[in-house]
Amino acid sequence: MSGSLGDVQGSLAALYENLQTLVLLLFTDPTQLSYGQAFVLVGVSVLLVATVVWTFFGRQNGTMVFINAVLRTFGTGQTKTGAGFTPGKVYVYGPPSVKAIPSLFPFSMKLETYLRMADIPYQPVHVWSTQGPKVCAYTSCNGKIPWIEYNGEAMGDSGLILEFLNKEKDVDLNQSLSEADKAVSRAFTKMVEESTYWGLVQSRYMDNYGKLHDLFELPWTVMFLVRSVGQREIRQMMRGHGIGRHSKEEIEGIMEKDLKAISSFLGAKPYLMGDEPTEVDAAVFGQLSEIVWTAPDSYLHRIVTVDYPNLLVYCNRIKDRYWSDWDQLTKKSKKDK
Amino acid sequence: MSEFLGNTQGALAALYEILQTSVLQLFADPTQLSPNQSVVVAAPAMFVGAVLWTFWSGQRRTKVKLRAEFTPGKVYYHAPPPLKVIPCHTPFGMKLETYLRMADIPYETMYSWRMGPKGKIPWIEYNGEAMGDSGLIIEFLNREKGVDLNQSLSEADKAVSRAFTKMGEENTYWGGVRNRWIDNLDQMQELMEVSWIGMLLLRSLRVKRRRNLWAHGMGRHSKDEIEGIVEKDVKAISTFLGTKPYLMGDEPTEADAAVFGQLSEVCCAFPGSYMERLVTVEYPNLQAYFNRMKDRYWPDWGELTKTSVPLSVIEVLSSQYL
Repeated sequence: MSGSLGDVQGSLAALYENLQTLVLLLFTDPTQLSYGQAFVLVGVSVLLVATVVWTFFGRQNGTMVFINAVLRTFGTGQTKTGAGFTPGKVYVYGPPSVKAIPSLFPFSMKLETYLRMADIPYQPVHVWSTQGPKVCAYTSCNGKIPWIEYNGEAMGDSGLILEFLNKEKDVDLNQSLSEADKAVSRAFTKMVEESTYWGLVQSRYMDNYGKLHDLFELPWTVMFLVRSVGQREIRQMMRGHGIGRHSKEEIEGIMEKDLKAISSFLGAKPYLMGDEPTEVDAAVFGQLSEIVWTAPDSYLHRIVTVDYPNLLVYCNRIKDRYWSDWDQLTKKSKKDK
Repeated sequence: MSEFLGNTQGALAALYEILQTSVLQLFADPTQLSPNQSVVVAAPAMFVGAVLWTFWSGQRRTKVKLRAEFTPGKVYYHAPPPLKVIPCHTPFGMKLETYLRMADIPYETMYSWRMGPKGKIPWIEYNGEAMGDSGLIIEFLNREKGVDLNQSLSEADKAVSRAFTKMGEENTYWGGVRNRWIDNLDQMQELMEVSWIGMLLLRSLRVKRRRNLWAHGMGRHSKDEIEGIVEKDVKAISTFLGTKPYLMGDEPTEADAAVFGQLSEVCCAFPGSYMERLVTVEYPNLQAYFNRMKDRYWPDWGELTKTSVPLSVIEVLSSQYL
């Protein structure tokens, strides 16, 4: 034992000396380095740096954080529309429609439903990009979908976009509501977006990953390749949020109670707050539409169609009223080409 | 160019040979490894180790030390010790303990900085099992002890109740996290009576909190945007409460435990901040509501906060990383 310890000690000392010589050589006269030595030096440093970076960033849902930080530092300030935008026009960025639904992202459905409710004309721009092309000061680009461009500025987060457009376009979908009703409205919006949303994420990206290539209309191989990284990111996000610490059954329980609450509150009313749609209907429809039309055969779908069918009726009501072009939008998807 | 390519090719071949020999040597006779060889083997091994570690350590359930002996049917409530300004610095602790008092469920408090089975605080032990998440604990205890604080509410009211609970806990809460961990971390030093070593620990925990904020989504907003969000949430609670004594009417219900939990942080744990201003100046019915709940369910508030215990670095470290 002591023999090999002595050996280890000896080789560690020699190793240190060796590295010392190599590094000195690198700085004094690199040309003396043989290609082999140079490659070893470069390869080892890359791996060591990668280890450090991974240890600190690999555990975060922030391989994105790292990328965002780089973009923030080095990104350019050009918007996608460049100089060619129409002032006062809203450009909504999001991935293209699929056969199942005009947008696979609940906050996109919410945003577009709001724009249709508020009669704000908009131009959809179909790209697979979560990052506004503009350099991200912490404010504008949150790295999520949807985001808009307005008068050359990029803006993220559907909630903040709605507030901005309400002011800019002088819209108030909640004007008929009392202050207390507006408060209830906000509470339901927050519940459906900060709680129910994650159940949908769990169901779609974790439990039913096998169906995603069909849903997103992407090749099976692509989904397979991104699976490990994609699911790990989502698992970490859910853990960071908190809900990822629950078991599958616990999450299903939470979802059931959330959906039950929406159903009980809706009751026999045509819209959540009464006879006419308000802002919260855009938010709730955004989340529920994904459950109704993109999650067939899931427990979520059973809840909104069998257990609390007034939710299905409600979704169809909003779809018929504000998405009369639903069939055209979804037919244009690749599947039918 | 071709000469460079030729050289590169040669160098790559040489590197491959070195790698091959090193690995063979590693398995044949490690003591004979030359320093170069060991570096060539160690560096990729370290990288692979780091990758595996991130996958493994993310999944495990936090190991929790349970009591060897317990009284069946007794709730052992684990939470961090009181601070000078508030009996529990996590709103979910305030919520859970308020619920236990509202439901008249006797409990034994075990103050510690250790995390629960889901890696969070507060948590309880019941009949030898550890349980995390205040919401799930409350549901469990409702069933187990036959408690229903919401029995006077209609189904629609229960729904509104849940919506406000969720808003406070999944949205407003994160504004508090941002305020405490990112914008005003130095205030923690005073509130938690932390030594400079403790501050180093808190700064390292801040990295985790920033990560959580980003994962949740709130961390993607600017400070002003977050303050705007918190203000709108607080306004909503205030408008809905109106002149009622409790959130859903004349008597307290489960939502009051949750909302009181969040509000107690807003009122007390951020002295001098915009949050304190919101409840004292702009929406004073919330301050009145807070006092009402505090007087009714926390008559020992003053006593508890006097016995504040400084942050224990060792306990926090060992429960976070071991």
